[in-house]
Amino acid sequence: MPLSQKPMRYGHTEGHTDVCFNDAGSCIVTCGSDGDVRIWESLDDDDPKSINVGEKAYSFALKNGKLITAASNNAVQIHTFPDGVPDGILTRFTMNANHVAFNADGSKVAAGSSDFLVKIVEVADSSQQKTFRGHDAPVLSVSFDPQDAFLASASCDGSVRVWKIAEQICEKSWPLLQKCNDVVDAKSICRLAWQPKKGKFLAIPVEKVVKLYRRDTWEQQFDLSDNFISQPLNVVAWSPCGQFVAAGSVGGCIVVWNVDTQECLERVKHEKGYTICGLAWHPEGSQVAYTDTEGNLGLLENVCGADRKQSNTKASAPASKDYDDLFDEDDNEDFLNRDFIEPQSSPKAVTNYEDEDDDLTVASGRPRNRGAIIEDDENSIDLGLLKASSAPDKQGEEEDQESLPPVPPQSSTQRPFYDGPVPTPRQKPFQSGSTPVHLTHRFMVWNSIGIIRCYNDEQDNAIEVEFHDTAIHHAMHLPNSLNHTMADLSSEAILLACESTEELVSKLHCIHFNSWDSNKEWTVDMPPDEDIEAICLGQGWAACATSALLVRVFTVGGVQKEVFSLPGPVVSVAGHGEQLLVVFHRGTGFDGDQCLGIQLVELGKKKRQILHGDPLPLSWKSYLTWVGFSAEGTPSYVDSKGVVRMLNRGLGNTWTPVCDTREHSKGKSDHCWIVGIHESPQQLRCIPCKGAKFPPTLPRPAVAVLPFKLPFCQTATDKGQMEEQFWRSVLFHNYLEYLSQNGYECDESAKSRASQEQQNLLMKMFALSCTLEREFRCMELAELMTQNAMSLAVKYASRSRKLNLAQRLSELAAEKSAELAAVEEPGEEEEEDFRSHLNAGYSNTPTEWSQSKVRSLQRQQSTEASSEAEEGEEEEDVSEEAKPMTHDPPQCRNATLSKSAKAVIVSNSQGRVNPFKVSSSQKDPVAHSTSILDNMTRLPKKNPAPTRRTTASKEKGPVIKPLVPKPKSKQAAAAAFFQPRTPSSEKKTTTDEKGAKTEAAPPETQASTENGEDKRPKTGFQMWLEENRSLILADNADFEETEIIREGMARFRVLSPEERMTWTERAKGREAGDSGERKKRKHPESVNGDGQESPEQKSEENNSSAKKPKPADQMGIQKLSAFAFKQS
Amino acid sequence: MDPAEVEFLAEQELVTVIPNFSLDRIYLIGGDLGPFNPGLPVQVPLWLAINLKQRQKCRLIAPEWMDVEKLEQIRDQERKEDTFTPMPSPYYMELTKLLLNYAVDNIPKADEIRTLVKDTWDTRIAKLRLSADSFVRQQEAHARLDNLTLMEINTTGAFLTQALDHMYKLRTNLQPGESAQSQDF
Repeated sequence: MPLSQKPMRYGHTEGHTDVCFNDAGSCIVTCGSDGDVRIWESLDDDDPKSINVGEKAYSFALKNGKLITAASNNAVQIHTFPDGVPDGILTRFTMNANHVAFNADGSKVAAGSSDFLVKIVEVADSSQQKTFRGHDAPVLSVSFDPQDAFLASASCDGSVRVWKIAEQICEKSWPLLQKCNDVVDAKSICRLAWQPKKGKFLAIPVEKVVKLYRRDTWEQQFDLSDNFISQPLNVVAWSPCGQFVAAGSVGGCIVVWNVDTQECLERVKHEKGYTICGLAWHPEGSQVAYTDTEGNLGLLENVCGADRKQSNTKASAPASKDYDDLFDEDDNEDFLNRDFIEPQSSPKAVTNYEDEDDDLTVASGRPRNRGAIIEDDENSIDLGLLKASSAPDKQGEEEDQESLPPVPPQSSTQRPFYDGPVPTPRQKPFQSGSTPVHLTHRFMVWNSIGIIRCYNDEQDNAIEVEFHDTAIHHAMHLPNSLNHTMADLSSEAILLACESTEELVSKLHCIHFNSWDSNKEWTVDMPPDEDIEAICLGQGWAACATSALLVRVFTVGGVQKEVFSLPGPVVSVAGHGEQLLVVFHRGTGFDGDQCLGIQLVELGKKKRQILHGDPLPLSWKSYLTWVGFSAEGTPSYVDSKGVVRMLNRGLGNTWTPVCDTREHSKGKSDHCWIVGIHESPQQLRCIPCKGAKFPPTLPRPAVAVLPFKLPFCQTATDKGQMEEQFWRSVLFHNYLEYLSQNGYECDESAKSRASQEQQNLLMKMFALSCTLEREFRCMELAELMTQNAMSLAVKYASRSRKLNLAQRLSELAAEKSAELAAVEEPGEEEEEDFRSHLNAGYSNTPTEWSQSKVRSLQRQQSTEASSEAEEGEEEEDVSEEAKPMTHDPPQCRNATLSKSAKAVIVSNSQGRVNPFKVSSSQKDPVAHSTSILDNMTRLPKKNPAPTRRTTASKEKGPVIKPLVPKPKSKQAAAAAFFQPRTPSSEKKTTTDEKGAKTEAAPPETQASTENGEDKRPKTGFQMWLEENRSLILADNADFEETEIIREGMARFRVLSPEERMTWTERAKGREAGDSGERKKRKHPESVNGDGQESPEQKSEENNSSAKKPKPADQMGIQKLSAFAFKQS
Repeated sequence: MDPAEVEFLAEQELVTVIPNFSLDRIYLIGGDLGPFNPGLPVQVPLWLAINLKQRQKCRLIAPEWMDVEKLEQIRDQERKEDTFTPMPSPYYMELTKLLLNYAVDNIPKADEIRTLVKDTWDTRIAKLRLSADSFVRQQEAHARLDNLTLMEINTTGAFLTQALDHMYKLRTNLQPGESAQSQDF
């Protein structure tokens, strides 16, 4: 892999800096002229740990958890690492020390000072000092011989000296450098270095070359030089393997040589050409960290990547020797053993971490190993790294580093023997909208109400509360004597909480400024050993989640209310109105992922749980950074990858990503710090942070507003864009429904505006699909439309000459209005159900009732069936017989279905009246009778629609399946195909009908057989009924339509066969005439039929239709369809 | 034109404020303003911003160019070049003056900004005087000055034209005067 230069980043203020890696190589440590030593977990670490060591830090050295710094107070101090606790002063000079260095085993420290002295001090016992006098000017740098025999130093007097440590005498002196008066005037700081391990060479940067002197003989062996170097070299550093030398120049060049071949391997130029003043190799050797005099930190990766391979073995072996010193010897051996033993058992266990652990406990032969692993985590880190270093491929390590939450570094959980999924450290609890606790000036919360800041410096420990809207309350300044770390703010109260200390228990402190009494504050002490970890405020209540896995709810006045247990350690809580949202750890995540669960509880009048600890979807390798509610009360959250997700209440409480804030930030290290989400208007309020994850308190950050965008495909196209807009609009208006459901008053105008917007978008999409000739898609879109929009769509379709589409649309419109009507009349529905119960045993007109049931079933079948219907409808166009069929499709379908299996002939007979078909129809009397009764109940035109009352609402029912006019085998097959889909209940009703019919209608069979199964032309009975209807009505004025028919049937039966025959003949003759006429009018009528006849029917069946105010609907449809076909 | 009039015009410039009150959109002859949401930046004309600020109803956000680094650059550029350089805002002087008078607490490094803008202003006015001087000396008929702001034109405009008038009169009077030199005595 080629060398890659990571972009520089700001590390310290301008001035001299120094850099090195810690022993394990897990972090980069830098010091700068701001007096801070910073520990960077990676180059992208936005929140490095800072240790202040003085006003200025000139140099530092790090080994064995000891940090030695040369600060401006002329002292060389010790701090512990990584905690940064001062651990005393090692030695003092009369001027500041310029360079400090450890010896190989870390037992001694050498320091060179501006007072011309070089000192060597024992770290363990600072009284044992050796002073080397001889330089005539400030000492620039010092370096220990790895074998502890010599010490090299460079000075402003131009000399480089080698001292014999034991005798404290100067062994050798070379006048190599230019003389100067002070360090600041020196051309080069001349950071010389001994080759690690043997110390065979001493490398000294002199002008533009690195001179290598051989140990003992002190003769110059050779020079390392390169044309690339245009200015004097400042620093030299050996790779840990001793094979490479890196040097940094005043002009910003970094060059790496292979010492064996003296060949220059890498040349890198500092991106701004600043002076390199710090250079350090990673203990594994492939990375070089460097700093410049402007305080920037940089990193080179894969240094000498190709050449390293040969030296790998060499490199790691001595390195491990180094680490050996760190370990307790026994443990170390165990680890080494383990390393060898493990491979046999690990393949079995790799897949499962738990397995592995079990393995260990069971294997009684190695209890000590296990103990060692658990007790001595540090060891396992080191070994893990060693192992990693010997593995040729270390890809992914970098990735892990940067994606980890700012909690313990990844490596601490690494086990040397296990390379399966690695458990992720659990993210710590946090308050949404707060910045890290360790900052001296921080935001405790920033939400839509206001801002709470916390100042925690020498002069002041205070909390400042500021309200965005000063009408709520004026700003407040509170002392923070209890050291509160958590806060939340609502329009009625401020809630603060602190963790327990050694003397004090954890406390919840509420300032209820909205209270009308004079006592505005209350505090609650948690039980001992229970720490508050997260708090939130809702409307009239406050809640806190504690380390005892409890959520405690209080009223805003301080009354304790519900307490409930959490399934896992809390991550964050949030409140809004009556809703309480709790995010907790559901389990352990692996490989950088967190495993979180979420609970949503309503604490209002009807207390209920809406989300029952469901898994919380997060982006890959991310953690939660913000959780809360939109201003309208929809739960939302943001993860560390910048993806904002919102609860979609319209889709079974799923989570929809609504914004990716990364798309809006310019640089890679820029982040958006969320402060609020608003659904109306759609605003994501955040603070853009340059090169950081959170904003500083000063200068006061400004809020920016980001738009939402659902991650739809192809949003560059009109189609994708409109789809995105539509669904976003749907999603962002879910809250209206939720609010109205929960008894909040909500803005009707907002609702109508939303629907208007959505319908507009649908219309646009519809038009677009129309122009693209995507008629099926048009239909799909139309299904999402409301009635009004649908009529517009019909209009549009017919205008754009898409008649087929227009027709389907009008059917769809009809279906929709029917559905609407059905919803409006739930009482009716029930009644029908009740009737269907009775159905089985009794009735002269069972069809009517069972029919209605079938209808309602079929309505549920909806789309699937309607596509069928449409298919059938095509044929209707062709068939002359088809017209009246719109009246009662389901029934026809029943008939068709029951017959389809039987034979082609039967269906054939349906097409035309065939008086000779007696035998065949008698085979299936049941079916016939069904159809006959159908005929009676559904007389198409002249008959004043006897059953209108029940069927009126469904007349435009979804399924418009005609009789099969042409008995092609294909169609029969098709029918058979559909059959399985019809619900069994439908069949059942059919059989019910059959049973009933055989009893009720035997006399008719005769007559009806003559008419065949044709339903459209009138039967003799119907004609007779027409004539005699008035008579019946005269006798029984209050008869309903069904009763009229019943009565009529009774009377018809009384007639002599001859009379009946004449009626039948009349019917036939008439039909012949009719059919011709119908042929001409054909299709339009089939659709218009109902509409046209409805007015007259209305008058006729006044009494029956009185109950049902259907006409309005019908009129609508009529208009629609009339409109659709005006053009044709 | 009066400097007060120029300032009046400058008050139409839009600046960003963060209101601490809530108010729906307001409809004015000059256009709609708002809506005002507490804590959310909104653009309003300077006159309203100052009014709100005086009533402590908002926080002002300094315009983007009102930044020490940018102003230093502008000043240096202005000093380097002989001609006038384009200014970040046509009302930079008025904006600076008004904002720094009324909202000094919301603008970081206000003093430095004041000095920098004044420096730039002085440089430009000096240039203007210089060019006016050479214009008069060389008795040119016309001159072209780019990138001048209204306020700058206003500082010398009235005076220069009047002075030119006077000079013209003097010159035209000079001719007959020469012939009648003896009148002195």
